[in-house]
Amino acid sequence: MPSPEIPVPAWEINPSSGWLDLRIRGSWHYKDLVLRLVRRDFLVSYRQTVLGPIWLILQPLLTTLTYIVIFSKVAGISTDGLPAMPFYLAGILVWNFFSECMPAVSSTFSSNAAIFGKVYFPRLVVPVAAVVSQLLRFTIQLGLFFPVLLYYTLYRRTIHPNLLMLAFPLLIVIIAGIALGTGLILSVLTAKYRDLNNLIYFGLRLMMFVTPVIYPLSIVPSGIRFWVRINPLTPLTEAFRYAFLGKGQFSWGYLAYSFICMAVILFAGIALFNRMEDQAMDVL
Amino acid sequence: MNNSLIQVENVAKRYRLGTIGTGSLKADMMDWWNRKVRNKKDRFQEITEEDKDPNGYIWALQDISFEIREGEVLGIIGRNGAGKSTLLKILSRVTRPTRGRIRGRGRIASLLEVGTGFHEELTGRENIFLNGNILGMNNREIRSRFEEILEFSGVQKYIDTPVKRYSSGMYVRLAFAVAAHLDPEILIVDEVLAVGDAEFQKKCLGKMKDVSEREGRTVLFVSHNMQAVQNLCSRAILLQSGRIVSTGEPRQVIAHYLHSGRKYDLLQQWSTPGEAPGNQHIRIRRVEIQPMPAEPGGPVDIRTPLLVSFEFWNLDPLHLCIGLQLLTLGGECIFDVSSPSVLLQQGIACGECLIPGNFLNDGAYSISLFFVKDTSILLYSHEECLSIEVADYRENVSWFGKWEGYVRPDFPVLLQMKLPQNPAS
Repeated sequence: MPSPEIPVPAWEINPSSGWLDLRIRGSWHYKDLVLRLVRRDFLVSYRQTVLGPIWLILQPLLTTLTYIVIFSKVAGISTDGLPAMPFYLAGILVWNFFSECMPAVSSTFSSNAAIFGKVYFPRLVVPVAAVVSQLLRFTIQLGLFFPVLLYYTLYRRTIHPNLLMLAFPLLIVIIAGIALGTGLILSVLTAKYRDLNNLIYFGLRLMMFVTPVIYPLSIVPSGIRFWVRINPLTPLTEAFRYAFLGKGQFSWGYLAYSFICMAVILFAGIALFNRMEDQAMDVL
Repeated sequence: MNNSLIQVENVAKRYRLGTIGTGSLKADMMDWWNRKVRNKKDRFQEITEEDKDPNGYIWALQDISFEIREGEVLGIIGRNGAGKSTLLKILSRVTRPTRGRIRGRGRIASLLEVGTGFHEELTGRENIFLNGNILGMNNREIRSRFEEILEFSGVQKYIDTPVKRYSSGMYVRLAFAVAAHLDPEILIVDEVLAVGDAEFQKKCLGKMKDVSEREGRTVLFVSHNMQAVQNLCSRAILLQSGRIVSTGEPRQVIAHYLHSGRKYDLLQQWSTPGEAPGNQHIRIRRVEIQPMPAEPGGPVDIRTPLLVSFEFWNLDPLHLCIGLQLLTLGGECIFDVSSPSVLLQQGIACGECLIPGNFLNDGAYSISLFFVKDTSILLYSHEECLSIEVADYRENVSWFGKWEGYVRPDFPVLLQMKLPQNPAS
């Protein structure tokens, strides 16, 4: 017998979701889950370690010292007239944030297959939590960066932070957006074609060389300048250095380029992820 | 009539067979090219009637329509591979249907999710929150039920210990406690997937009864245990090769299940070892139940002896004994008998067992065979391969209700007067 229609169907399951059907209202319900996953990341990373979260500070510090020795002392690459320590530290913090964020997002499906196969929740929760978790780490690492800045600004007087500093959260948001967008696109692709995973780390390494991490944009030879300049991370790294250290190539127009890139990548990433999340589950 | 809570309309689900390896990127791109650019029809969309098409796709579900009403306990039964798990996955939104739609209201939670997302480095407390959040509770809800969950789990003492130090029993109890306090409008219980000890399954069933009877919630129950389905469910659906073949009263649907799909009720035979079921040790050649009624062609009833005979290709010389189980179609074992262990050469071996008349009660039964090496190592089991229906027969009885019991042996029960009352005294 035909039964009466459901008065108010609260939900509907269809063959496919729309490209931008974000279900924002439903997602808010899952904010506790996002924070819980961030908390899990933290608790788990430093279980059974001697130094615990101190590694967060130690790791970029050690990298910086290595770079100072290899790139500055041995190879003699210019640091744009800036002291090597804050120069590399700034580059490393920005680059690490991106290079940790992106793979964390792109492994969404492979590292959560067991959960995704059993429970439904908006899948976007997981990559968002990964980014929030990295943002938190970055914030803690600023705790290393700021004392170094103060030392070089007030005591050595070799760097000159300026007011653009106040805009630095914007820089971080743009980097996070690019990392999230690329990560989302790659997460869908790697769920289907797993061998792409190997390419991600290779690609990241390549990308580091076209991002002014270990060199300033000003010394890039004209032959490869094009490749460095179209990298949307370049203006962000340079702006970050300009804001805190006082040297770097900065213009609002160039920053806007990064922002537009971020918007396009993020939009494409979310749309693709949304569209494919359910299909990805069937091939995992 | 209660309101309908979930409506499933023409749902179908197609899976791709095989792995995603080399060539699939190319195949996908060619599909896309044909479909979108050259504007051809999707070549998979046209083939709908076949279960399996030559391009490596399989339809796990087809034309599934039903509704779930508020407060009912709906049983879903069917053989392995009939599509039960796929249906549950679609209902719990883990995967999407290929076609059709489902509309409904209320939160769905399933007890097949026990322990999902548990992280073994985290403490019990952290895991309660993590698991609860994953299952859709927010922190406030979890906090308000935290004490209850803790008490139900019985692991209070170890709540701040990482769960990797837990015994597996504690782990399951804690995980179950969280799932059991979800408070969903619709609870999905998948007994098949709830692997674990009998106690755990009992707990699942107990909770389910609680939820449906005392709290009046809606339950979706998937099980192989027909007894449980019959006792607990108010309605049942029978799935067969991805389609609904029967729906309604549990008793009728179960009867349909028991009588369907058994192509070889009384006899199974194979002509070559290659196509016969078995493994490298054993290949089944023939299994048969021969009723031996008093007169040829007579009815098979409780008086009829049943001769179970079997032949198999023995591929290794070994000490072998054969176990034979008689089961109700609900899956309960009535007896389990075994032959002596015999040294068998390679070749065709045979055996038989006579179940005497006036022993079984009326009902439907199935038979499983077990091939055991050295009286301890199970080589192969040929389960529920035969089935037979035994009819009732009564003499000099004017009562026609169901005769209780699995067996109805013809033991004499004596009755006589011990001390007649003297009418004079």
